[in-house]
Amino acid sequence: MSSRKKALLKVIILGDSGVGKTSLMNQFVNKKFSNQYKATIGADFLTKEVIVDDRIVTMQIWDTAGQERFQSLGVAFYRGADCCVLVFDVTAPNTFKSLESWRDEFLIQASPRDPDNFPFVILGNKIDLDNRAVSAKRAQQWCQSKNDIPYFETSAKEAVNVELAFQTIARNALAQETEAELYNEFPDQIKLNANDNGRNRDGDNCAC
Amino acid sequence: MSRSSSVEDLPEQCKDLFTQDGVLLKACLGRPVTDLNSIGMLCIVQNQDNSKTIEWRPNDLITIDSDTQDQEWAVVNTIGITMSFAKGRRQRTLSGNITSDYATARARIIKIPIEELKTFRVTRNNQQMQFSTKPGVWQTTFYFQHGNAEIFVAYLKNHVKTAKTRHDRNTYVVVEPNIESQVLNKSFAELDIFTENTTDVVWNLVSNFKQRPYETTMEAFSKLTDIVYYGNEGVNGKRDVSEEVVDLLTKSMNAMEEATTVTKSDEYEVISVKPTLPPRPSIPRGTPLSPEKWWALQDTEGRITEVEGVKQLIFRGGVAHSIRQCVWKYLLDYHPWHMSNAELKALTKKKTEEYFSMKLQWRSMTEGQEARFSEYRDRKSLVEKDVNRTDRTHPFFAGDNNPNLVILQDILLTYVMYNFDLGYVQGMSDILAPLLLLLGNEVDSFWCFVGFMDKIASNFDMDQAGMKHQLLQLQQLLTFASPELANHLAQKDSGNMYFCFRWLLVWFKREFSHRDIMRLWEVLWTSLPCANFHLLICVAILDAEKDILISKDYGFTEILKHVNDLSMCLDVDKILSTAEGIYHQVVSAPHLTDQIRIILGLPTMSNSTSTHSGSDAPTTSKSETNGTKEDQGTGMFGQEMDEDTLEYNGLQICIVTKTVWALLA
Repeated sequence: MSSRKKALLKVIILGDSGVGKTSLMNQFVNKKFSNQYKATIGADFLTKEVIVDDRIVTMQIWDTAGQERFQSLGVAFYRGADCCVLVFDVTAPNTFKSLESWRDEFLIQASPRDPDNFPFVILGNKIDLDNRAVSAKRAQQWCQSKNDIPYFETSAKEAVNVELAFQTIARNALAQETEAELYNEFPDQIKLNANDNGRNRDGDNCAC
Repeated sequence: MSRSSSVEDLPEQCKDLFTQDGVLLKACLGRPVTDLNSIGMLCIVQNQDNSKTIEWRPNDLITIDSDTQDQEWAVVNTIGITMSFAKGRRQRTLSGNITSDYATARARIIKIPIEELKTFRVTRNNQQMQFSTKPGVWQTTFYFQHGNAEIFVAYLKNHVKTAKTRHDRNTYVVVEPNIESQVLNKSFAELDIFTENTTDVVWNLVSNFKQRPYETTMEAFSKLTDIVYYGNEGVNGKRDVSEEVVDLLTKSMNAMEEATTVTKSDEYEVISVKPTLPPRPSIPRGTPLSPEKWWALQDTEGRITEVEGVKQLIFRGGVAHSIRQCVWKYLLDYHPWHMSNAELKALTKKKTEEYFSMKLQWRSMTEGQEARFSEYRDRKSLVEKDVNRTDRTHPFFAGDNNPNLVILQDILLTYVMYNFDLGYVQGMSDILAPLLLLLGNEVDSFWCFVGFMDKIASNFDMDQAGMKHQLLQLQQLLTFASPELANHLAQKDSGNMYFCFRWLLVWFKREFSHRDIMRLWEVLWTSLPCANFHLLICVAILDAEKDILISKDYGFTEILKHVNDLSMCLDVDKILSTAEGIYHQVVSAPHLTDQIRIILGLPTMSNSTSTHSGSDAPTTSKSETNGTKEDQGTGMFGQEMDEDTLEYNGLQICIVTKTVWALLA
């Protein structure tokens, strides 16, 4: 069955403008930080090969614009996502409050097969800054309340926890894939039968 | 009545061996100036006595009976009359009912007997052709608006033996007139289906084939079916169809298949011709508007009167960097063109006061006020975030505590006060940065930014309706101009054109260096040659990538990546030139639709016919109105002018002649 596993994982990074989505992606893929990144317009993605449990998988990480009004177009890129990374800035409480709506919006637009178990990961970024405004405890509590979403505190600038976070993202996305396949064995067959029945009925109608 | 007289005037014994339409008469010795710069058709005509003539006929003479013409066949009407068309289809009617008009028009025909032709030359990217029957004098000069003179020259060379002169590769000397091509007629001669001169038939087939494979093949085929149905008697030939002919016909059939689509319906097959665009003219870029010209264009009090002419010049070549500071204020509607220096001084004073009063509105806000004003706070926070990441690699904005960043922020926050409903949207800092870099001055930059935002405000709509609308229009334009690519994109889930979002939102700011974006923007600000020219820029860039995108079978993600990676790898002049070429292709396409006309801001056909509705005028007068409309709508380079510019028609023609021709000459 492992041969049927997808070797490409599509990961979407979401969060308010300026929380560090592009920086996190670049830190993970290119091991670089720059404070000269421009605001993302439209969408872009980077790919990176990672090894998870002795398997080589390609992560395709999608970065979109953070300003709210651009989301109506950003949804075009959500399709087929295997994991969603929600980022907030620990120095800006508003960006933390937005997490809920980012998560809801993603679930509505991407409409994954099993929304309750779709893998999310939350990153509280910019922990290198002094003016922290959202405590780790508060963030963790929120994550627990949302079906135990994994939470990491990161610094894209100083490469803190970035590697670890993305490893978890890849692992959870893969696990989701495997589970989906397990589920598929049964429900799909039943569905297939249902379809067949439907088709037969149609056929009967035609024959009459 | 007029119809019968026209048939007499143009007896069928004279036949057009080759015709090329959209040919502009640029110069002709001994003709009044009023005859020049009109569009017509350049033909090679075989006379009754088998001699041949190069003929140019003004467009108003060549209108076709509209009752025998439907859209698909309209194209055919320019093909030579040697073929098996019903007589009525080829009848020429004149555009007016009055005989004197006709005589005047007839007098404007230019004839050059091929026997007398001494030299000809092809210049300006193969778009200009000059003829001479007397050494040392070029008597006539023509400009090929649609495509170039290559096919015409190829055909002409079939009738005259030429040699290139040593000192000028573009000039041909006629060595021996009236030779016949020996190679291609052989196969058709063997088939012996044509009673006429086989050279001409073959050449009609071959030369027309390139442009109109469908119709040309059908003509040739009708001859072949004659053989099949009527045997040898009807065609006086042997049944021995040579292999070469079979090859030729097979080839033409294949090409026809490529150019047609077959839709199967329940009871019948619908075969439609895939319309193709006319060849793309390559129009060279001009030189930037120089300081000398700019100052010369102003009257003693500093007013600029020839606004359209200035815009034409800027469209052709941009603005010299040294005068951009001045010219941009006009292009961005900060300085009105018709204001004198004194008036501009007063305006600047007023605008400076207005700017600082708006700036004071946010500067004077206390911390407490701000804390209770979340809508302002949110906007301010977005501005601060983006200012710190706008063009920071450019020396003007680089480094910590750069004062230019403060100005950038001040202007954007003042703009929030100027248009609080729109506020600040990502992308605005990209729009402002080059303006501030060039102008250096806070107040000037602000008002120029306001002018630019007025042009593109819909890009920043809350619901993104403006962007969605443009992406749709872009898709429609691409479908018309590059159907193969549009089809590929649609198959790859990319028909929504989202991968062009960044291009459109900030008018290609992220795709070019500061130097190049200044050139591109100033050209786009002229609003020439049509509305939404920036969408044609997109089409031009995509068209250049077409082969890669299709041959590598790129999908949704690869297309996006490829397009994003074009950033900083694009040649602005080449793209502008291509986009202009595509514009001419599109507007001169016979199948141009109202949908495309609306996007490009051209008058629609339905509008123009509705103005004539209700009149039961004879068909000749209908074709007259069409002809007249075309004449008015088609200016220099086949450029369509909308009704606003028609008022300046005289002025525009004059300016275009002076400036644009001067640059091209």
